[in-house]
Amino acid sequence: MSEIMGDENIVKKKQDHKNPKRFPNKKHVIKKRLPVRPIEGDNVIYVTKKTNFKAQLDKCCDLLTKGENEIILHGLGAAIQRCCNLALQLEILFSGTCQIEVNTGTVDVIDDLEPLTDDVDFGAQVRHTSSIHIRIFRTALLGANK
Amino acid sequence: MEPMEFDAALGGKEHLPHSANSLKFAASRSIEIAAMTESILRPSKTKLIFQSLPIHMRRRVMSHNCKRLPKRLREGHLEQLKKSGQPPKQKRPSRKYRRRPTNLLEEYNRRQRRNVWLETHIWHAKRFHMIERWGHRLAYRPCDKAFRACYRATSAHCLLQDISYYTPIQIKGPIDIIKDLFSNITHSSCGLNVCAKAYLNGNREGTVKLYMPNSYPYEFIGKIDFFWISTDNDQKELWLFVHPSQIKIVEKVLYKFVSTIKTDQSDENTLENIYPKRRKISTKYSDIKVTTMAGQFTRFRLTGPKSHAVLVQSLKCVDNIEIVQSNDWIKYILKKNVDLFLKEKSEYWNQISPLNSPSQLPPRLVIGLVTKDPRWSRPAKRTKARTTQDTPIATEKLINIPPYLCTSPLWDKSVCDIVKSKKITNAKFIAHLTENHLVPGEINEDDPTLQSIPIVLIQRPGSQHSDYKKIGYGSGWDIIIPSGYGLPFWLTFIMFGARSGGLRETENLAFEMGECYLPPDSEAGKLEEKRIESELKDKYFKKPPSKRVNYIKLAVPSPFICPWNILLKDWGSNDGDKQFILRETSILHTLQDCLIKKQKVPKIENSDYCLVPIYVQILGKGNLTKHATICLPETKDISSGKKLMEPHHEDPNKKLRKQKRMEHRKYLKQMRRKRIKLRKTQVNVNQKLKRKHNSKPSEYVKAMRELWLPSNVESIRNVGVREVIGFVTHGAFSFSESKSCGVGYIAYNALVKLNSNALNKVLVRNTTSRQYRLANVNIIKSP
Repeated sequence: MSEIMGDENIVKKKQDHKNPKRFPNKKHVIKKRLPVRPIEGDNVIYVTKKTNFKAQLDKCCDLLTKGENEIILHGLGAAIQRCCNLALQLEILFSGTCQIEVNTGTVDVIDDLEPLTDDVDFGAQVRHTSSIHIRIFRTALLGANK
Repeated sequence: MEPMEFDAALGGKEHLPHSANSLKFAASRSIEIAAMTESILRPSKTKLIFQSLPIHMRRRVMSHNCKRLPKRLREGHLEQLKKSGQPPKQKRPSRKYRRRPTNLLEEYNRRQRRNVWLETHIWHAKRFHMIERWGHRLAYRPCDKAFRACYRATSAHCLLQDISYYTPIQIKGPIDIIKDLFSNITHSSCGLNVCAKAYLNGNREGTVKLYMPNSYPYEFIGKIDFFWISTDNDQKELWLFVHPSQIKIVEKVLYKFVSTIKTDQSDENTLENIYPKRRKISTKYSDIKVTTMAGQFTRFRLTGPKSHAVLVQSLKCVDNIEIVQSNDWIKYILKKNVDLFLKEKSEYWNQISPLNSPSQLPPRLVIGLVTKDPRWSRPAKRTKARTTQDTPIATEKLINIPPYLCTSPLWDKSVCDIVKSKKITNAKFIAHLTENHLVPGEINEDDPTLQSIPIVLIQRPGSQHSDYKKIGYGSGWDIIIPSGYGLPFWLTFIMFGARSGGLRETENLAFEMGECYLPPDSEAGKLEEKRIESELKDKYFKKPPSKRVNYIKLAVPSPFICPWNILLKDWGSNDGDKQFILRETSILHTLQDCLIKKQKVPKIENSDYCLVPIYVQILGKGNLTKHATICLPETKDISSGKKLMEPHHEDPNKKLRKQKRMEHRKYLKQMRRKRIKLRKTQVNVNQKLKRKHNSKPSEYVKAMRELWLPSNVESIRNVGVREVIGFVTHGAFSFSESKSCGVGYIAYNALVKLNSNALNKVLVRNTTSRQYRLANVNIIKSP
């Protein structure tokens, strides 16, 4: 799933004085959990930092040319930029036949605190990550641009 | 015309005597009688038994088929056949006979005497290649081509494996003493202890690394999963699930501590007999009771994000105790006044049901549930399970674990026995359905004839480091079921779209996750290595010499087994056969940091005997295989894009082999000539030369093999143009990385040298290739 490594430092700095527990201290080690996916489907694409950009672009193109009316892209944290990039590329490729609708939001992601010493219990912390949801939908009929 | 001779009484001339002396009569004919009996007992003509039968009783091909003889003659006939040299060939009984339930069962029982069968054995045997491993007959791989499909199942769908071969061990006793016991066989630097606070309430499963008593860091036994059972009194229960390759050692170690004999159910009487004797030698651990519970549970492993959906669809929780009150095991539980928390648990299960991956739950969570019979929830056709998403789950639900969640009646042995004995067989189930359910397809889930079943689910978090593997890869559920109910659950999971896998998938999953599968410093790992070596050697020597890879020319001294001892000897100043793999988490973390930052690595104790587990990824082209060598690069290898090839080496044995072959051929010719001569001189010798079918190869073959693969390897560090620093134990194309990757070990001292050269890349070379390829190195942090 999406990578949040990049902006983790920033989050830490901001939260420094508010929540001192957030730091990876000597008693815990942070382990990440998979973020909850809002919906799943054939036309829903989750953009991550690891997946090949070209492959996902091709996948979106395939979906749109094969008659899908709308596709939804989701991006989280550092993958937001890639997500936007993907949507803009699609807009250029399907210029005139597709429109973009952008929503932003915040997603709660959970980190597990795994104990390093025998006398502490497991813990968990909630981190807020910004997210982007881009809906790409057809305005012209299929084949109109050919 | 001859005169008629009549008795005098009839008017003839002959007078008969009034009495006959039988003795005299017999004596005068004694010679005749003797001859007759002689000829009967020892007939001069050797006749076969069936030839002695009257003609009307003779049948065609009687000598071939002894069933055509009368039964009383059969034995003698077979005897005769044996004398004449032909072994009596008994026909295989007809299929119809063999498939009769009683005969079939007998046959199955006979076959199970050698290896233990799992509950799903017959299902697997029809679809899988079965192999013998660790005293079990296990499924290795599916018969259909499903290698990639099984990977896809682990990453996007659901892979199902029967891992009932894991043996549960129950340890009962006061916590302090258990803690003390485990402090002998574990080490604090390798991770949390068994009695860590995080595990004691039983909510989570943990892993410990066991070593032989007081011999850390040497003599590693294995990684073992455990969890605590929360009971009210101070007597706590610890359950270990031990891999069958390690079970014997673990049992031995534990029983040695507790110093009692094996406490099987059958041995209980003998245990009481020796009780006074035991008390004398009671140690501080004698309060602990260790019991091996082999075969009490069935355990399945579901891997992949969809495993949650499969479980949600197939497990229907019981939420009202009144429905299941008629079940025998529930009655038993209610007598003991144990709260089952049916409603709360069912609620929790329903709340987490819309998740799309098990890795979204707290890691290694233990859930005890009571479910309805899985046969009710089976779909009519094989369908893919999907989660229904309606409401998003509150984050608190995913963080907090209710304290009642892990309780389960499953751990009570008598409950398991009752459940097993009250099981309704498939045939009865179908009969029940046809009788009571008039509308086909409509089911009544709350039917009291089918009992509910206690189960336990254990979550596996999969990958939790995004920079190592994608988060959540390899996550899934383990389900523990009372034995007897394995197949109904198994089939339901299959019907919900789970793909079944075997041992190969276990190996592959470990590889894809970048974990060490049976590490070579443990007994199990050593055995596995030896098995692979002999397998590969056999395969190698089956090839004709012209098709064999000449490893001497390639400068690969031991292509089929990784010689860790020699490697460590070359890199250190020791000459023992001790070795260990670094498992100290803090050191492994610093090593990884040092590799990235190209810093100097710290010094550790016993570094001469130390191997470091690493994960290598080839940069660019090339595939890695098992036993590939990892070599130390020079600075120019990394910067210049040139191919580095191992030059051809001279094979000093080639001439020797040729000479030896010629000699052997000459010898064979001589022998042949001798034989022919012998045959000519002794015409009537029709002794067939018995071919010896012994499995041992002859001296000549052994010598030739030695010339192909010299076994006395003394040094491996400097055989090639680059120094050897380690070996890859499992290498292949990794689908999760879309690169060729490998899990291997390098000597610690070599790592020091690598770092002192300010390098964080290595060269790898396959056993059958001359080319060195550049690869990235990562330290495996949880070997």
